[in-house]
Amino acid sequence: MSKFKKEGKKSAPGVNTSSLPDIVFMLLFFFMVATTTKEADPTVEVKIPSGVRATDMTPYKQRSEIDFAYLGVPRNKARAAEFDMGYALFLDNVEQPSPGELYNTNSIRKWKQDKYDEKRARVKKPISEVITCVKADKGAPTGIIFDMRTELQEIEALTIAYAVRDNSNI
Amino acid sequence: MAKRDIPEINAGSMADIAFLLLIFFLVTTTMDRDQAYKRRIPKKIDVPQPPVEIQNRNIFSILANSAGEVYIEKRDGRIQNLDDLSDKVLEFYQKNEKLTPDEALVAAANPNHPGNNYPFYTWTDEEFIKGEILKAEEDLEKTENTENVDPAIVDFKAQILSKWMDKQKALEMYGKDYLPEIDYQAHCRITVQQATTYELFTKIHSELNEAIFQLRDEASKEIFNESYGVISRRFDNDQSREDADKLSLLKLLYPDNFIEVKPKR
Repeated sequence: MSKFKKEGKKSAPGVNTSSLPDIVFMLLFFFMVATTTKEADPTVEVKIPSGVRATDMTPYKQRSEIDFAYLGVPRNKARAAEFDMGYALFLDNVEQPSPGELYNTNSIRKWKQDKYDEKRARVKKPISEVITCVKADKGAPTGIIFDMRTELQEIEALTIAYAVRDNSNI
Repeated sequence: MAKRDIPEINAGSMADIAFLLLIFFLVTTTMDRDQAYKRRIPKKIDVPQPPVEIQNRNIFSILANSAGEVYIEKRDGRIQNLDDLSDKVLEFYQKNEKLTPDEALVAAANPNHPGNNYPFYTWTDEEFIKGEILKAEEDLEKTENTENVDPAIVDFKAQILSKWMDKQKALEMYGKDYLPEIDYQAHCRITVQQATTYELFTKIHSELNEAIFQLRDEASKEIFNESYGVISRRFDNDQSREDADKLSLLKLLYPDNFIEVKPKR
């Protein structure tokens, strides 16, 4: 009488995975849209402070109209001693004549000019409008930032931005 | 010819390919948004010029030393709680805002008046702006017709003209008879020391931005029934002419004149 017949040996039906690529592609597209590419992996350690009412730099970044300079403690601790107060500058992916100059405030002028020449074809703005964004560590001395400002002033790169993490709700 | 079965393409590895791409993007991208305080660096002056005399009432001078202490020079002295800074800036802008032109004259003459130590506002009406535009136009034409004139001077005169044109447009949008303007010399000045930390430096900028935002937001809600944040974000996205004019009116009402002084020690 039993309706539930126990069948001897029947393998479980395979799960249909044909929609798996769709799901993964969906995830892929989400991440492609929602994120921006990393500019560079800085060789200095930077913990940026927080603040309110900051300007969002993402639109500039997506149009690559912005240059980032990092100011922090070198990850290579042996190098830290060489610098003023232990803080060094990291300027991303531009060929430097020597590794030491990579961390020097004096080279920022050449760095900025090179970066501008590189993007001149795409970006129609004058160099005074191209933002230089300083990402500095909480404890970094402002004296170095003012040294940078003097260097930038020399080549008329007159827009600077001080990076923070914005706490206010958007 | 007989129909042949088209062999099916095996799509089993499609997921692997997609996963590979997904992981690549996960690794090379960041989610955090970059936010920063945008500031202008003043142009370099080749010929040193004598400093311009500025009245104390027009300066909001913030001093931050390497020990992390903050002072407001000639006003409140040492600031214990940095969060109060934006309120002090608000006071600086708003103290004399509601005075009529006559009251302002009285206040300026009386050293004991509470508003005496704060910048005064001027009121420009349409007649005055029109007169200035005519004057600027004539001046520009005269300069252009002068022989061997330095193009920088022509540029400068053209700038004056466009400044008054902007004011005319702003007044029209403002919808009142007068356009109130804070003293053009009024500014906030940040003086730091070499070793002042970046954290303190950005905190001061944060407070300044907060104050300016509040001022503009209030004005924006009153004039356009819209918050300042909404307008500026929309402008970031579509760069429309209308929003640009709105923002320039708000900027004219509450200019963000910040001076950062290069530390001497």
